Amino acid sequence: MDVRVPRLGEGADSGTVATIFVKEGDHIRKDQPVLEIESEKAVATIPCTADGRVTAIHVKEGDVITVGQLVLSIAEGSEQSAGEGGRRVIDVTVGDEEEDLHPLPAVAGPSADAAVPVESAPVASDIPEKAGLPPAAAPTVRKMARELGIDLRLVRGSERGGRIIVADLKRYVQQLQQRATMTQLTPMPAGVPSRTPSRAAAVDFAQWGPVRKEKVSILRKTISARMSESWAAVPRVTQFDEADITALLQLKKNYDKKYEKKGARLTLTVLALKALVPVLKRHPIVNASLDEISGEIVFKEYYHIGIAVDTEQGLIVPVLRDVDKSTLLQISLDLAQLAERARQRKVGLEEMQGGTFTVSNQGGIGSGPFTPIVNVPEAAILGMGRGMLKPVVRKNRIEKRTIVPLSLSYDHRLVDGANAARFMVDLVQAFENFNESDLKAGL
Amino acid sequence: MKPQQTEVVIVGAGPGGYAAAFYAADKGKKVVLVEQDKRLGGVCLNTGCIPSKTLLHASKLVAEAAESGVRGIHYEKPRIDLSQMRAWKDSILEKLSQGIAALAQRRGVEVMYGRGYFEDSSTLRVETSEGQKFIRFGKAIVAVGSKAAMPTAFDLGNPRIMTSTEALEIEEVPGDLLIVGGGYIGMELGTVYATLGSSVVVAEAAGAVLGGADADLVRPVLRRVEKSFKEIRTGVKVQKMSTAGRQIKVEMEVGGKNIAELYDRVLVSVGRQPNSDDLGLANTKVTLDEKGYIKVNERQETADSNIFAIGDIAGGVLLAHKATKEARIAVEVMTGESSTFEHIIIPAVVFTDPEIAWCGLTEAEAHEKGITVEVSKFPWSASGRALSFDRVDGLTKLIIDPKSERVLGVGIVGAGAGELIGEGVLAIEMGATARDLAESVHPHPTLSETIAECAEAFYGTAVHTYSRRK
Repeated sequence: MDVRVPRLGEGADSGTVATIFVKEGDHIRKDQPVLEIESEKAVATIPCTADGRVTAIHVKEGDVITVGQLVLSIAEGSEQSAGEGGRRVIDVTVGDEEEDLHPLPAVAGPSADAAVPVESAPVASDIPEKAGLPPAAAPTVRKMARELGIDLRLVRGSERGGRIIVADLKRYVQQLQQRATMTQLTPMPAGVPSRTPSRAAAVDFAQWGPVRKEKVSILRKTISARMSESWAAVPRVTQFDEADITALLQLKKNYDKKYEKKGARLTLTVLALKALVPVLKRHPIVNASLDEISGEIVFKEYYHIGIAVDTEQGLIVPVLRDVDKSTLLQISLDLAQLAERARQRKVGLEEMQGGTFTVSNQGGIGSGPFTPIVNVPEAAILGMGRGMLKPVVRKNRIEKRTIVPLSLSYDHRLVDGANAARFMVDLVQAFENFNESDLKAGL
Repeated sequence: MKPQQTEVVIVGAGPGGYAAAFYAADKGKKVVLVEQDKRLGGVCLNTGCIPSKTLLHASKLVAEAAESGVRGIHYEKPRIDLSQMRAWKDSILEKLSQGIAALAQRRGVEVMYGRGYFEDSSTLRVETSEGQKFIRFGKAIVAVGSKAAMPTAFDLGNPRIMTSTEALEIEEVPGDLLIVGGGYIGMELGTVYATLGSSVVVAEAAGAVLGGADADLVRPVLRRVEKSFKEIRTGVKVQKMSTAGRQIKVEMEVGGKNIAELYDRVLVSVGRQPNSDDLGLANTKVTLDEKGYIKVNERQETADSNIFAIGDIAGGVLLAHKATKEARIAVEVMTGESSTFEHIIIPAVVFTDPEIAWCGLTEAEAHEKGITVEVSKFPWSASGRALSFDRVDGLTKLIIDPKSERVLGVGIVGAGAGELIGEGVLAIEMGATARDLAESVHPHPTLSETIAECAEAFYGTAVHTYSRRK
């Protein structure tokens, strides 16, 4: 039996072998992790799907491997025969369900699944080889594909039986073109050295003093790619405001103990999430995405909020699902757990996908307002700074109040300035008039 | 002597070579076509496809006449004039060959008669009747074909031991004819000689005759030859042949027993071998495989960047239409088009009685490769057309991918199966589904309906058969 690299998640077709847990001769059990792949923003473990003895390991640590690649051979332990063919390929599938014969090309980028800006061309190894079945297409179409240098196995046929016609080929070429445009803006991580290196590469910094060099990690490459993509593709405006959280902090103080008893910790981020969702519901455009290819705005009727987590290796943005359906208690428990796993880099790729909005709270570190970068293809991101005591004029008197700086960076193609301003006003209101019943719920 | 300059030289004027020459000329190239035989057309036209089909037509007339008694038509026993039959056959070959020469002339293709020999990667020496000529070429296409194999053990120099080339000359109708090798050539020529009156014994080394075709397609042929041939032996080892007066003594091992028999003639049809010897290929970068075929990639390119190879000499299935397709690929690649032999369906037709024709995936191949398929069959006993001429010994079947319902293979056995298989090729090449075939109206009453009925049977809705609906 062979163990191959499973699909790693939307858009991820390669990764680096971080750790191999087994060695040749080991007896391993079904579901036992056999190796760890560092891919984009996470480390994913590949489990084994059958009991048996490892007869060969085909990769080593540090290897860049792609989906479908053979990693391990296993002699099955039980007496069960290996099928008529003598060899059986077990498709280990993580997250996603079984692929189609001709999968719709996946989306580039780890969190770009909500709205599909560009379909990427999957690598050939993405496609399960079905022995003896060439793509269904007329000779003229095959010839055209050859002339264009297109592998028809990557093209989805729209006709009966998956037959590929000229229109399918055209659509595919358009997608490739779109993707090429995007790739220029967004270098692909992990061994796709397509991008022209920046000027810095050519400079010998050591001529001016001692330097220390460190290999750029996959995570850093991904961050760099995602940031460049966002920077280049999204016309961004940042809207600043401040929220008076004096009352909210008082409420928090009242409930801290009760939450602690439940093993949860009330943080400003948790409270912000609770305050945020109803505002997002009132301003659906902020929870939307722009699909340039189909020419559509995709309004999402779910609220999956990405949380920027600072880890030792760098920024990771895991996504908290269905925040609108969770109680404050649940959110606080989930968030604590998710953030901890993110710090240990144990978050699966799919847990970083599907976000509709992102929150980045730097308050804990103690800094002020900033201009975050939109986490594409989301429409906006909320930055929170440190809450500070400030003299505030209230009812003609100067009072000491705790003020938190808020900054909303948004995709100005989608969100107009007025929209953003109204959103911000509502959000500040939500912070300042926090509903106590939300705190009680679930306790 | 100053060498002649040309853009393209083609060595061998068979169905690969002349097709390549014409196509290159049509694309504006200056072409020289070199042929060592005095007649163009290669094995196909002169000693293969065409003469065997003319003789098979003749034997079909004899067989049909003999079977017409049940229709109330009574013929006398036919009187066969072999020399007239030969002349008639040759006249057809002559007509075709002249047609090719005329087409070459109209296209401005220069035909040079003589043996070609590569001096280097851009020079061909041609031994013509007027002496040596040298051709400096830009590109060469080698299309020198193959010849019938004659194992040295059988090669006694006795004309009674024939290959297909001699057998097609029908010098006489031998009383007892042994055919060594039950491939399509042996079975086709066996049909001819059996109909003309020979007592035919086929000795095949493998476990079955007509290997390559699915067993259910071979069965109706076997049923018929059981009556017309004396015997079909499989698992036979022919050990020795020797001259015994006006006969040939053949020693063979049949079912573990050694026997010796006398035959008036022996046809050795054990395969073909490439004509790659004495071609000067060693003076080029062209490489050969262990059997002597020229190694090519799917663009018909050899290891020598100036030289392409097509047809039998390039190996694979040794069929004329494969050579013709490769000719087009070679010329297209040569003229900068993107062309390849990948995923091209090459149909096969065996002109036995009844004919067997198939294309794409066979049922046996699907099993071998572990490809899940569904096979839909339509017996000709349910075809009105087949009944109308008393040939219900036919079967049409489709090999279908159950998931996409795509047609992956088509197999037909029956009278005129070769004429029906083209639709199968088109269906597979176009990526058609069984439903596409079922929904295309086929004319009634014709045998082509069996293909549509077969497709309908896949959905359980064939009109003229009953199967449980899906």
